[in-house]
Amino acid sequence: MIIDSQLMSFFTAGSLIVIGIFAALFLDNLIKKIIGLAFLADGVNLFIITMGYKAGGIVYILLPNMTISNFAQNASYPLPFALVLTNIVIGASTLAVMLGLIIVLNKKHGSISASKILGDKGEKIE
Amino acid sequence: MIEYVLMIITVLGAIIALMQRDLLKAAILTGIPGISIAFLYQFLLAPDVALTQAIVGSAIVPVFFALAVLKTRRTEEEAD
Amino acid sequence: MDILIPLMVIIPIASALFLNLLHKNDSTIKIIAIITALILPVIALITPYGSHYFGGYAPLAQNSTIAQGLPALITGTQLFQFHPAITYVFGSAQQLMIFILVLISFFAIYTSINETKKPSGVYAFLMFMGTASVSAILLSDDIFNLFVFFEIAAMAQVGIIVASGIKDNYETALKYILLGNIAGPLLLLGIALLLGITGNVNITDIIFSIKNGLVDPYSPAILMALGLLTFGWLYASGLPPFHTIKSAVYSKALPHGAALLQAFSVFSMVAIGVIILRMFAYIPFTSTAIIGISLLAMVLGITMAIVQTDFKRIIGFLAVGELGYIGIGLGLGTAFGITAGLFQAVNEAIITAFLFIGFGTVLYKTRTSDTRKLGGMMFVNPKLALLVLLSGLAMAGIPPLNAFQSKLMLIQASIQSGLPELGIIMILLSIVTFMTFMKAFYTIYMRPKPAELEILENKIPKSTIISLVIFLIICIILGLFPQIATNSLQTLATGLV
Repeated sequence: MIIDSQLMSFFTAGSLIVIGIFAALFLDNLIKKIIGLAFLADGVNLFIITMGYKAGGIVYILLPNMTISNFAQNASYPLPFALVLTNIVIGASTLAVMLGLIIVLNKKHGSISASKILGDKGEKIE
Repeated sequence: MIEYVLMIITVLGAIIALMQRDLLKAAILTGIPGISIAFLYQFLLAPDVALTQAIVGSAIVPVFFALAVLKTRRTEEEAD
Repeated sequence: MDILIPLMVIIPIASALFLNLLHKNDSTIKIIAIITALILPVIALITPYGSHYFGGYAPLAQNSTIAQGLPALITGTQLFQFHPAITYVFGSAQQLMIFILVLISFFAIYTSINETKKPSGVYAFLMFMGTASVSAILLSDDIFNLFVFFEIAAMAQVGIIVASGIKDNYETALKYILLGNIAGPLLLLGIALLLGITGNVNITDIIFSIKNGLVDPYSPAILMALGLLTFGWLYASGLPPFHTIKSAVYSKALPHGAALLQAFSVFSMVAIGVIILRMFAYIPFTSTAIIGISLLAMVLGITMAIVQTDFKRIIGFLAVGELGYIGIGLGLGTAFGITAGLFQAVNEAIITAFLFIGFGTVLYKTRTSDTRKLGGMMFVNPKLALLVLLSGLAMAGIPPLNAFQSKLMLIQASIQSGLPELGIIMILLSIVTFMTFMKAFYTIYMRPKPAELEILENKIPKSTIISLVIFLIICIILGLFPQIATNSLQTLATGLV
């Protein structure tokens, strides 16, 4: 391959982030905005995982038949992976809260269009 | 080689999910980038994150979206 | 290694989770909430200064028992200095700020329990969760830990808005959480860049790596991380471009909720701002950007407050405008300026809580917050009107109240740094703040009562009056003896320069 897989993975993460921000800012439908936000979080997670990756390395689990120095030289960096585990859970829970808010707002306005719910009405100064 | 295919599936799946007019389809399609990212994590030497992502990204998140769509409305409305 | 430091975060979280389980049991909720809220300031006062290492140990350099007999491979390198644990640092500045934060949270919970007819366990849960997360943001020396609590604080704030039941609160909550879900991942991306460059998430270690030339201090990735962290900072504190949504957030929460929410914003702003300064103060652009954003916040916040007609919105915008003073103190970059900024943060948290709870009594009596429909409240309760007037005077910086001392220090600091223009702008904006406040005060309290205004018969709870009087006492004490606060804050400020 011409491009190595780590660089390609960074590009994938970057495109997910760009797609996510685009969807969150420019799509009108609230569900789609939130799908975009989920992609944004996925992209950031992928970015962090890719940072910990080591080309030609091994998984960061010390198996009984490995020597410590061999492990230390070849294992991928486990700190980013620990961060991502936390972030996946945070992402899923904020997603649930946002979708819950949308269900309530749909009952009130009969619509899930951002321009109808959050547009002029939401900003109106009373 | 397979990781390149997965990366392309991830990006295309994300774009296709956002292009659907039927929101239920869009909700289910969010599982495709989710599961391919999970496989990608396996290739990037993070098996434990891959397990979590496989459950969250391919099952929980699409189900959340599908439930939200079923409780609100199925189609995207025209912006006016 | 002190066991009391993590308790500042653990006790409110544990109490919050427990309160969430109690649904119908009103008196139990009251007792537990009040006791927890009373314990927190005591813990903040009695805890000795120090660091706590979660799930690890002190750096090898400070830890002779583990460091004994290690090979030169480790002792000879920088690994010797690094923190292999989530570190919480508790110093005098953290002590003062956490004390003020938990004090405000105590009064917010105390008034909310007595003003609402049915004390809700879930509402107390949200307040304690927010308090715990902002305390953790203040304490944490670990940038990922900070991110986790940043998200929890954002969720708790959304919860407090949703729980208020004010018209259109769901829309504001959704807007706030949508923006938060853009700002949060971007902040995480900044943290990821720092992690990728330095291999570390501990702030002290990142600074060590940058200062000692282990990484290129002007590499584009570091500059990008600075930008992304700043974006997260703007969101957490409600500086422009987030000032509109932040003031809407304040106005959609109940008065005691808003008093707590603004304390969250102020202390998150200080905590993340101090971290940005600690890491990136060597880039000259940082302080310029902080001063620019702060000026924008002051001008936009205070001028937009003039045209509002909802008094909660007025205080919301004024609170955002006052944030600008803190930012200018931080941006000046001198030890005196940063002390002044931190002192202003402490003062502002108290004064805005004072204002929100004070004006909350009007809402309690009339069920409306529209200044066009209000009037004549002075004759309903003149003593309360006097307390509210004093809170407004405190915000504008009238001696002998506390904001006078901090604003004076800020002006002196700006003159010392060779930027007297900033001092002039601050004085002018203080006058505009005072004018805006007096306009609102006049329409609500002093002009004749409109015929259609209905004043409810319910009596204002004693707890509200007690809270207001204690806030006033703190304002006067800090105004007469500013050394109490500035001496504690000076250590942190001198450490930054």
